Amino acid sequence: MKAERDFQVVNHSVRKVDAWQLATGYPSYTADLAPAGCLHVKMLWSPHAHARLRSVDIAAAERMPGVRCVLYHGNVPRHPYTTAGEGFPEPSPYDQFVFDRKVRFVGDRVAAVAAETPAQAEAALAAIRVDYEVLEPVLSLEAALAPGAPVIHDEPDAYLPIPMPYCPQENIVARVGMEDVGDFADGLARADVRLDQTFETQYVQHAPMETYVAWAALDGRNRIQITTSTQVPFHCRRLVAQALGLSVGQIRVIKPRIGGGFGSKQEVLLEDLVALFALRTRRPVLWELSRAETFTSGRTRHPIRVRVRAGVTRAGALTALGLDCTANTGAYGGHGIPVVMCCGSKVLPLYRAETVHFAGQIVYTNLPVAGAYRGFGATQAYFGTEQVMDQLAEGVGLDPLEFRLRNHIRSGETSPVFAALGEGKEGVPMTIGSCALEACLRQGAAAIGWDRRRPHTEKTGRLRRGLGMAALMQGSSIPRIDMGAASIKINDDGSFNLLVGATDLGTGSDTVLAQIAAETLGVAVDKILVYSSDTDLTPFDVGAYASSTTYLSGMAVKKAAADARGQVLRVAAAMLAAPVEGLLLEGGVIRAAPDRSVTLAQVAHYALYERDQFQIIGTASHVTEKSPPPFAAHFVEIEVDTWTGAIRPLRYVAAVDCGTPINPKLAEGQTEGAVLNGISFALTEQYLFTPKGRLKNASLEDYHLWSLRDKPPIQAILVSSFEETGPYGAKSVSEISINGAAPAIGNALYNAVGVRLHQLPFTRERVWRALQSHAPE
Amino acid sequence: MKIKAVRRPETPEQARDWARELGEQALYVAGGTGLHFMTDPAEMVAIPLDRIGLRGVECSGRHYRIGALTPLADVMNYRAERWAFHETGRRTATHQIRNISTVGGNICRVFPWCDLPVALLALEATMVLLGDDGYAVPADDYFASQPARRLANGDLLLAVDVPVLEAHMGFGYRKEVICHSGFSLMTVAARLRLEGDRIRDARVAAGAALPFPARLKQVEALLADQPATPDTFARAATEGVREVAWKGREDWSDAYAAHAAAIAVRDALDRALTFARRRDW
Ligand SMILES: Cc1cc2nc3c(=O)[nH]c(=O)nc-3n(C[C@H](O)[C@H](O)[C@H](O)COP(=O)(O)OP(=O)(O)OC[C@H]3O[C@@H](n4cnc5c(N)ncnc54)[C@H](O)[C@@H]3O)c2cc1C
Repeated sequence: MKAERDFQVVNHSVRKVDAWQLATGYPSYTADLAPAGCLHVKMLWSPHAHARLRSVDIAAAERMPGVRCVLYHGNVPRHPYTTAGEGFPEPSPYDQFVFDRKVRFVGDRVAAVAAETPAQAEAALAAIRVDYEVLEPVLSLEAALAPGAPVIHDEPDAYLPIPMPYCPQENIVARVGMEDVGDFADGLARADVRLDQTFETQYVQHAPMETYVAWAALDGRNRIQITTSTQVPFHCRRLVAQALGLSVGQIRVIKPRIGGGFGSKQEVLLEDLVALFALRTRRPVLWELSRAETFTSGRTRHPIRVRVRAGVTRAGALTALGLDCTANTGAYGGHGIPVVMCCGSKVLPLYRAETVHFAGQIVYTNLPVAGAYRGFGATQAYFGTEQVMDQLAEGVGLDPLEFRLRNHIRSGETSPVFAALGEGKEGVPMTIGSCALEACLRQGAAAIGWDRRRPHTEKTGRLRRGLGMAALMQGSSIPRIDMGAASIKINDDGSFNLLVGATDLGTGSDTVLAQIAAETLGVAVDKILVYSSDTDLTPFDVGAYASSTTYLSGMAVKKAAADARGQVLRVAAAMLAAPVEGLLLEGGVIRAAPDRSVTLAQVAHYALYERDQFQIIGTASHVTEKSPPPFAAHFVEIEVDTWTGAIRPLRYVAAVDCGTPINPKLAEGQTEGAVLNGISFALTEQYLFTPKGRLKNASLEDYHLWSLRDKPPIQAILVSSFEETGPYGAKSVSEISINGAAPAIGNALYNAVGVRLHQLPFTRERVWRALQSHAPE
Repeated sequence: MKIKAVRRPETPEQARDWARELGEQALYVAGGTGLHFMTDPAEMVAIPLDRIGLRGVECSGRHYRIGALTPLADVMNYRAERWAFHETGRRTATHQIRNISTVGGNICRVFPWCDLPVALLALEATMVLLGDDGYAVPADDYFASQPARRLANGDLLLAVDVPVLEAHMGFGYRKEVICHSGFSLMTVAARLRLEGDRIRDARVAAGAALPFPARLKQVEALLADQPATPDTFARAATEGVREVAWKGREDWSDAYAAHAAAIAVRDALDRALTFARRRDW
């Protein structure tokens, strides 16, 4: 795809800056870097969904061979904190402790051992005696909200650090919402076609290749150095300090290469304990969760029940669009509030509706803990809203594509929802800048062959095909909350060190940021040496979440590079005895005239060693004022086996407007990956529990994640737009495309066989049962 | 389980002798992928079979002999006249598993999801074993209970003999999984022998949704001497599986497993019929 403007480095698919290192297996990941002689941590996880610990006896475990330290609630500091890595103050309750006297889900922390070998630590766990007072578990939204339900968070010291009522006595973290836009009831009443349907999404897991892993060691000055697979190094430092009652200055957090996160590592799950063990033992300490532990005790996607109410006139205008969302946050409340608010803020503005309603609540249960996951609320809400849009279109006799083309938000328009809903507080008013959704819809429709779509009533036979679509938007950063910073300094040879707190977790963001710096400085990308992230060395950045890195951190990089460029030009002007304004910096050379030039290396030398010596160093911070949505139109063709209920996606087209794709190959990769992630979410992934709340399928054998062998052909189309507020016109691309598959497949299912499912995943049995009750001819 | 020592034999006889000597502690290791599922904490002495040969497929005219140490990938890639067994291998687990899992490993300790037992039952295969001497056991007998029990005394599987499909015979195999790398939730294999437009006899077996792979005798009875038509298949599939206690695993209910069984039987029969009628293979 051609960008709207011409660039030298940006909008080119340069090779990832870490490609060589990763492809050759150079030790790069957290566990690779752990020092020899580390102690190993193993955790005794709760076997009960809800229990009080009457007593924990660690004496025998402490005497076991190789054991160096055993920690439990009786010998650790007690400070409430949240594991959610978010800006301060976090919109998440401080409802966790390093260890507590109560366990709240199967897989909650009970006690931990640090020993010389993993086997010794494991053996010592068996020697810990725990007397549990088993309490009635709360294993569903209904059970949690029933009058007289057992209270999951009855500890008096938990609280919500933002000004919002915290209601743990009702098993509710918080209720969120906004004032209705217009008279919603009247909007519904005026509609010619009205719908009121409830949709439900399931527990799923990010399942990154690299599980949770962290290690800590004390340095010569007794400071704690934590090396960890995290998306949020700076939040991690702050939250570990909070959990352990330390000062931030005592802690250094280093993020090496990361083997994927998808939101799961926007949590601080291991770092507090490795730090505490390192302090207690004065030895380096490594903790690596197994895949089963990652499933059971890691973070998941909030299952959300979404009631969608909407109305449309015969002419196809939306008179009402409303969502009521009830999210299951599991045993702890991290991220629940912003996730539910994003159900509204990332979804409702997509369509111009005369009246709008939004309300949500976040509910505790004794099930696994939910957290941030790519899509962050939008995924759950789009599942319902985009199926409702198809039904409204059908109700007024419009093609779903035409219906969306008529109603979607456009450049220059706004939505009151932007100002009403932020993340943990009200939002920021925003006018849409770039928007190529119409082009996405048209190009995507052409690519899939939308004009072949026929109603399900015309289809017969065992195998029936259907076409479905969904329109989407997301955001780019959290405005007036997120901050990213960068610094860039020149070296003797004209290369630059770019230091960013932004967190490449495998996405390629280091490469994208290097491209932005290179474009600004007029050099090739290999002249930019990126280093991310180290809280001692790199400037602050909130981290990798909320689709922020390219848009937010990218802008910080652009500003820092512009600062450095200004200094370069001033030095060059002195060297060339020419005015700055007339200089041209390109390809590492600064020219005053065709025959009068200096190289960047000469400039660096001059500044570092020759005259008026100083370090050319640019630094900048950036806070976003808006969160420009990327837009997308997804199309899928499926084949349904009406005898078994099996759904087979045949082809998928994702047309995405992410502004200028800084690196088109990486943007396509993000899109394809997110689509596959979304298909897997729609069709096969789910947590299965025993009646007592234990996860039954905590392994990649039993948790059905789609792999490349399952992948249908996926066509990613990058549709050009230019976002004036983004670096070189860029917006975000990484989250949006996970949101389309569930509703698009739902719509395709209807188009194939005339049944609609309101619950994910679309398992064969569910589809088959729906077909049975629908009794197709 | 824990491996406390390793002894690597050079011949099948040496393997057998060592296994007998070690008794309950002996563990033959072929591909070794099955160890993943053996959660018994016992300490064992591994007897890797990688140097004893028994690898490859040969045709003797009446049957194909598949060496017990033949990797599933080789079975999948093998092609010859009236050979249909690759149908099964193609659908087993992942490339990585197929590259190391062996035919012997798949049928000496049968897990519910194992693909080969079902196919071997339908194909009327014979297992060739080494006890005191060599001996042969027909599939019906071999899979009547968990073979690992029969082999506990150190007997070694040497090969599997699969009869060459005669003219007018066809083989069909159907496997249901949630996604490609998943375990089988339903496996059905069918062998049909046609006589003109009629079915002379049929052997149909199922697994995964049963506690142990088994012939579906009722289905077979409903097929014998009937016209080879979709109606016959539909009736046999529906009525023939009714009395079987199907077990749903993962996200399948028992009721859905029963429904899926009927469909899988029908599909396997359809496939077998197509095979039987093909003249060019
Ligand atoms: C993730 C995963 C998914 C899988 N999915 C499937 C699937 O969908 N379908 C399927 O069919 N299989 C599947 N398998 C393979 C199957 O479960 C077994 O692991 C495999 O068939 C064992 O073969 P092996 O050669 O590795 O045997 P091993 O693990 O070496 O041995 C298995 C058992 O057989 C014994 N044994 C081996 N060879 C002999 C012999 N010659 N004589 C006597 N005893 C012997 C061993 O002592 C041991 O008890 C899967 C495996 C894994 C790990």
